[in-house]
Amino acid sequence: MHIPDAFLPLPQAALYWVIACIFIIFALRWSRSEMSEENIPLIAVLAAGIFAIQAFNLPIGMGTSGHLIGGALAAIVLGSPYAGIFVLTIVLIIQGIIFGDGGITSMGANIINMGVIGGFVGYYGYIGLKKITNQIYLSAGIAAWAACFIAALACALELAVAGTFPLIPGMVAMGVYHAVIGVIEGVITAGALYLIIQARPDMVPEKVKSIIKKDNNM
Amino acid sequence: MIEEIYAIETLAMGTTWVHRLDARLKIILVFAIIIVMVSCPIRPEVWISGLIAMIPCAVLWLSAKFPLGTYARRLFLILPFGLFVIVFQVFYPNQLFESVTILYSLPLVFFSISIYAESLLFAQILLVKFLVCISYIILLSSTTTMQDLLIGGRRLGLPAEMTLVIGLMVRYLFVAAGMFQRVQNMFLVRFFSPLATHLPYRYRLSVLAYATGTLFLRSYEQGERVYMSMLCRGYGKDSYLHVSNKPFTKQEWMFVVCSLVFCIGVMVLQFIGTEIMYTMNFA
Repeated sequence: MHIPDAFLPLPQAALYWVIACIFIIFALRWSRSEMSEENIPLIAVLAAGIFAIQAFNLPIGMGTSGHLIGGALAAIVLGSPYAGIFVLTIVLIIQGIIFGDGGITSMGANIINMGVIGGFVGYYGYIGLKKITNQIYLSAGIAAWAACFIAALACALELAVAGTFPLIPGMVAMGVYHAVIGVIEGVITAGALYLIIQARPDMVPEKVKSIIKKDNNM
Repeated sequence: MIEEIYAIETLAMGTTWVHRLDARLKIILVFAIIIVMVSCPIRPEVWISGLIAMIPCAVLWLSAKFPLGTYARRLFLILPFGLFVIVFQVFYPNQLFESVTILYSLPLVFFSISIYAESLLFAQILLVKFLVCISYIILLSSTTTMQDLLIGGRRLGLPAEMTLVIGLMVRYLFVAAGMFQRVQNMFLVRFFSPLATHLPYRYRLSVLAYATGTLFLRSYEQGERVYMSMLCRGYGKDSYLHVSNKPFTKQEWMFVVCSLVFCIGVMVLQFIGTEIMYTMNFA
């Protein structure tokens, strides 16, 4: 899903960069105010961990493998969409400049797809679904699936606007492929969230893990 | 991807003059070339400027005493997504061109697959631009250590906050790579593979989910320790990574000017070449 350089014309790439920068500034501001202290270092080290998590080969079936994005997981566990943006932005910068995955001009678009969409859809999808279904892990799974799927559609849309790939076939190809990967992403996110809540309940904010207890006495 | 980090950093620790070159110079050259290549108009002649733009890359790569195989291996790891878009391109009419001509049509039972001439052309142009951009990024990351890149970026005006964050991330990237490697070894000694089909699917997913959760927890706790130790050493909200100023020497200015002139030259050449070809065609 990493759009490489030259796949987006320069003016469009610049526009995506501007939008991405606005969200990066918001994310930096969030990490200064919302987190308990000035613990930007913590998020930076966590980003390195997310990078390692992305390296796991996930079995999709029929011998193919995929990789986790992890934006939704970071956003849910840290309790803010900006966490997803923050972590994914750093990861994408390193991926673009050191590994060549994704590009320099197109990095803004990639940050929007995976960080911004991943963070917002992942977090608010989770909170919304949790209110409706009252189930933590199911909501986390579906939210992570949606974050992966919608990010893929956004990527196809950007390529279509750029004239690089036609809209409908791009949507179908990217959509189907990531709908399948998204299921795995959802399952892994839910499983990882289960482990994290069991092992370090103090780490997860109350608004994330709380569910409304039904009163049985009434 | 993170497994390659040691290999890339080992390459970047070389001692040739390309490695010793100030990181800022390499960053300026690479970014300028990429911007020029991305902004090249969609014309069939783009391969000429692509070829010219590759000359400094090849010279620097060979001066860094790297074999071509290393370049090919790194290129191969990056290609998949871009190549997918480029290859499947040719089966659909491209919206940038008004008229489309079918180059080749392959009838199947229910539908037919056609290859469009314009789309094939567009795919070629895209491939040229893509390869040049990727080659320069490979060159940059293979000849410059991450710490140098970071300091170079800071000197070129990367915000201090981002420098601190990325600097920490880069430093702990190697710790994370080690953690990942240990988890992989642990899988290996227990004969577990995520792609092993003889194991139940559910079981493989649960193992992977717990490994993911564990890595998340471990890096979070690593982050907590780092943060605590930084606090002990006087870290506060106004602390930044200190990077001393270092003005360019005369030779370095020459390099910057030369690379920018080269980039502008490639751009101008592109326009002039295209114009000449078109006037010749119309004449």
